[in-house]
Amino acid sequence: MLFQVNFKSGKPVYLQLVDQVRHAAASGSLQPHEPLPSIRPLAEQLRVNRNTVAKAYTELESQGVIETVPGKGCFLKPNESPLKRAERERLLVKEIDEAVVAAHHLRVDGDTFVELVKERLEFFERKVEAGAAASTQSSGGQA
Amino acid sequence: MSTPIIEINDLTRRYGKLDAVNGLHLAVRPGRCYGFFGRNGAGKTTTIKCLLNLLRPTAGTVRVFGLDPVKQEVAVKSRLAYVPDTIAFYPWMTVRDTLNYLASFRQHWNRQTEAELLNRFDLDPAQKVNALSKGQRTQVALIGAIAPEPDLLILDEPTSGLDPIVRREFIQTVIGAYQGGDAERRTVFVSTHLISEFEGLIDEFTIIEKGRNLLTLESDVARERFRKIQVRFAKDPPPLDLAGALHVRRDGRELELLVNGNFDRLLERLRAHSPEALRAESLSLEELFLVSNLLPRS
Repeated sequence: MLFQVNFKSGKPVYLQLVDQVRHAAASGSLQPHEPLPSIRPLAEQLRVNRNTVAKAYTELESQGVIETVPGKGCFLKPNESPLKRAERERLLVKEIDEAVVAAHHLRVDGDTFVELVKERLEFFERKVEAGAAASTQSSGGQA
Repeated sequence: MSTPIIEINDLTRRYGKLDAVNGLHLAVRPGRCYGFFGRNGAGKTTTIKCLLNLLRPTAGTVRVFGLDPVKQEVAVKSRLAYVPDTIAFYPWMTVRDTLNYLASFRQHWNRQTEAELLNRFDLDPAQKVNALSKGQRTQVALIGAIAPEPDLLILDEPTSGLDPIVRREFIQTVIGAYQGGDAERRTVFVSTHLISEFEGLIDEFTIIEKGRNLLTLESDVARERFRKIQVRFAKDPPPLDLAGALHVRRDGRELELLVNGNFDRLLERLRAHSPEALRAESLSLEELFLVSNLLPRS
């Protein structure tokens, strides 16, 4: 997967990497059991401190998004969140609240907001389907 | 907490009547990449020379690995490597001779790293060093600094005067080859004013001005605290309480604010006046350095 960092976003660089992996996982551009780039080449390519990449991977591991296989690297885990459903929803509500507040300030009304949410959900679902189709095709080609 | 790799307390160094460094403090923790920023003549090189016992402090203390570089010069120098801005080699030596000569002072020298870097930089070991370009000389010096795998790498304006490709390679080498071994134990202290290139590498920094601390912060904290807000109103800007803004620039219906902390509150206040457009971004470390003259003196 391709990463990019933006020093002007105000978000710590390691969290930018965390978000990008989570986004890639949600949109299917990173599939379960697919490897993440190893730390050294990624740090060199982005010209960031190796500790920054290591910190991002540690964070992703503690969130249960990826797993480290010693000597092999980091891999995306299948999506089995260890948190209870209620807890997961509570975490999501926090994120939604932020978007609601942002919508208020941008003067986007409730109906439009809900429309936008639906649209984005469909966007991600389409991406996942397309990704799954592509990977079936490629594995079919190898067989 | 572990002993800082570098600890400077109240360092003063005078040249005649001129205070090049005047009461400087800083501490660098192990495994960090520490930026040391300042304008020409701010006292950066003088400070670094005190770390290396190339100069003795007029007052104050300097500790490297917890040791006094004046009294325990060998113990300090055997664990660090230094790349200065102007590199002088013996002109009659080849690249190979030069690296062997540098290696002869070291207890440990990683031949494999040396070979990999010679290859990466496309350097011919049989070439005489006086025939090398400035960029190539810097590359040889960098190999000489990384191959002994020191605990501390001190870089003084290492990339000034180099072309952008060589600069980029230099930084990637520091990340890959130097930090590659055991990033936790490898500390970098880099003085530069080409800050944007080192931005991603730097964990923490000190800006020094006229030999004194102006600002010391973690990079992530700095980027969170220092922001630029651009806002445009439909009519003339309403009367605003802009307390907390470091700097305000006004052009007709537009305002540009530099903020040091209090970002959310200020943003809230601006939004209350329903601006036509509102944009906010963090200052990069380089931009922060450029506006550091606006900061209150400590």
